[in-house]
Amino acid sequence: MSKILINDATLRDGSHAVAHRLTAVQIAAYAAAAEVAGVPTVEVGHGNGLGASSLQLGESLVPDVEMLKIARSHLVNSRLGILVIPGFATINKDLSMAIEIGVDVVRVASHCTEADITERHISYARERGKEVYGVLMMSHMASKEVLIGECRKMEFYGAEGVILMDSAGVYLPKEVSEKISALVNNLTIPVGFHAHNNLGMGIANSVAAADAGASILDGSARGFGAGAGNAQLEVLVAVLEKMGYSTGIDLYKILDAGDVAEKELVEVIPSIKSTSIVSGLAGVFSGFAKPVDRIAKEYNVDSRDVFFELGRRKVVAGQEDLIIEVAMDLAHSQESK
Amino acid sequence: MKPDILKMVQEDCAEVAADSISSLAKLKGECVFITGGTGFIGTWLVEMIGFLNDNYGFNTKLILLSERAHSFSAKAPHLAMRSDVTLIERDVRDIVELPNEVALIIHAAGNPDNRLHASDPLRTMRVIANGTDSVLAAASQLPNLKRFLNISSGLIYGPQPLELASIPESYRGGPDCDSMASVYSEAKRFAETICSAYRSQYKMGIVTVRPFAFIGPYQLLDKPWAINNFIRDSLMGGPIRILGDSETVRSYMYPSDMALWLLRILVDGTPGLAYNIGSPHGVTLRELSEKIASNFSVRPEIISRVLTNGNLHRSIMVPDVTFAETTLNLRLKVDIDEAVKRTLLWHKQRM
Repeated sequence: MSKILINDATLRDGSHAVAHRLTAVQIAAYAAAAEVAGVPTVEVGHGNGLGASSLQLGESLVPDVEMLKIARSHLVNSRLGILVIPGFATINKDLSMAIEIGVDVVRVASHCTEADITERHISYARERGKEVYGVLMMSHMASKEVLIGECRKMEFYGAEGVILMDSAGVYLPKEVSEKISALVNNLTIPVGFHAHNNLGMGIANSVAAADAGASILDGSARGFGAGAGNAQLEVLVAVLEKMGYSTGIDLYKILDAGDVAEKELVEVIPSIKSTSIVSGLAGVFSGFAKPVDRIAKEYNVDSRDVFFELGRRKVVAGQEDLIIEVAMDLAHSQESK
Repeated sequence: MKPDILKMVQEDCAEVAADSISSLAKLKGECVFITGGTGFIGTWLVEMIGFLNDNYGFNTKLILLSERAHSFSAKAPHLAMRSDVTLIERDVRDIVELPNEVALIIHAAGNPDNRLHASDPLRTMRVIANGTDSVLAAASQLPNLKRFLNISSGLIYGPQPLELASIPESYRGGPDCDSMASVYSEAKRFAETICSAYRSQYKMGIVTVRPFAFIGPYQLLDKPWAINNFIRDSLMGGPIRILGDSETVRSYMYPSDMALWLLRILVDGTPGLAYNIGSPHGVTLRELSEKIASNFSVRPEIISRVLTNGNLHRSIMVPDVTFAETTLNLRLKVDIDEAVKRTLLWHKQRM
């Protein structure tokens, strides 16, 4: 039976869904539930990874260090994971702190064409005996040939696997199959996939990835994540089980964890709103959904227009400042009409 | 550096050189210029020649060229401060002329760390290609050059077929020239060819060696290679993690053997020929991890993580060193078990 390693992003990607305002009680409750369910890795932190708490991206209610300590104290068999994006996360300030706290799994992410920036962070974590993965965000913006090259860099740097993120929720299953197959056939390390549900393809794309040879899949309870959310973890585990994949996760217990998430964490269960569909079509990072909605209202412009213009400008995560610029331009353009 | 560590390395040199003193006599009184002189290979060459000078009166002078010569004082102060060692800090590509006294050259510049190759492939290729050209051009002007040893790489053969137990020098494979994984090996192939061109055009005594894998003192544990990671994991208390196919085969030579072989090939190798250098004894990653773990009273756990639903990428990389063994009567003195044991001891004493 083929194995799939599940990475639970509820306490990291889910942070986007509540404007990074996860509380200590919520983190403790969900980490405990995930531990009971036998989730292999529980990823914790600001939605954009360690060190990303800021005015532009949203300030975490609970500092990174506290989030990790709380989660650590509730995880015994499940491993504690973090996401770091070099630039937001520094080695001295963030990564060394996380390792000190006892993080087990480090995922180092970059935009899909910028793997070069991950070398030092990957090396640092590997040298300290941590399990390290490379992550390419907004992977729809690069061809499979480019992705192979960028993933190879991460492999050389010491990544033990690479994960393609569908940060904008733009993929259809056929595209996922093509890209994952290309990576599986050209790399010597495991390949993973992180879905977003903007076009309702979260589970379908994850299944396509698994069938194409991916052995790492991300999900979050109730799909709790940026924009329209991620692949819903409980569904993902159930579907994989039905397909004959082994995840090592107890189905009933992960269903319970989903209930815990709904009760304790989720203010509004992620659904595919109009803006999510538009952001998926436009190929814009799912984490832009809330700030786009807010800024569009502020400038009295149509958030859908904002998304399509952001897509035209090929914005990537970390360029949230551009939302205001785009909204202002659209507002001026409306006034001039 | 702790005296115990220095003593270990001295004993390593004494062990392998003991029956080779006379065959190294051509080094006596000569000036040896080493590019990449403060790297792993360079450092061991300095240890070995220093040993010969101190114990057998070789009176061999060393000039070490390095981009980071200043850091040699911290890495190996006992070598940096030697009166028979001169350090020059310069990019190998910037060499224009060499001191007239230089009679032997070992061209070891070029970083084998594939993280660097991935981050800066153009620089990797330029340092090897242009650097080799520069040092050869300068060498061609020397009045008394006797030998030039070009340190190439076992990677120039490309992937070793699984059915081939070891690669002889005559193997005509090659790396995939369209792969980022090939920037180092392709540049090394170019360096071999430009050596041939200088040998042909200037009648220079150029010999090539193709090193495979090594493990021992002075090799940093942050290098992204399996044995380094296994040793680092074990020293941290484990677990030792085998990533990928545990039946992948590698072989490892201890660096005192490496230094002796390099010096013998420098003085007695036949110009125009290439010599593999490394251990001919293959070991699987699983066997290697067990050898490392067996050196600890509390045996670290070994985890074999096969997390791929695609094909396992098994590979083999073992040199056939029959040519060096038969023509120069070279033999390995330190086997893999002893190499692992000494490497662990060296790192433990440094901690």
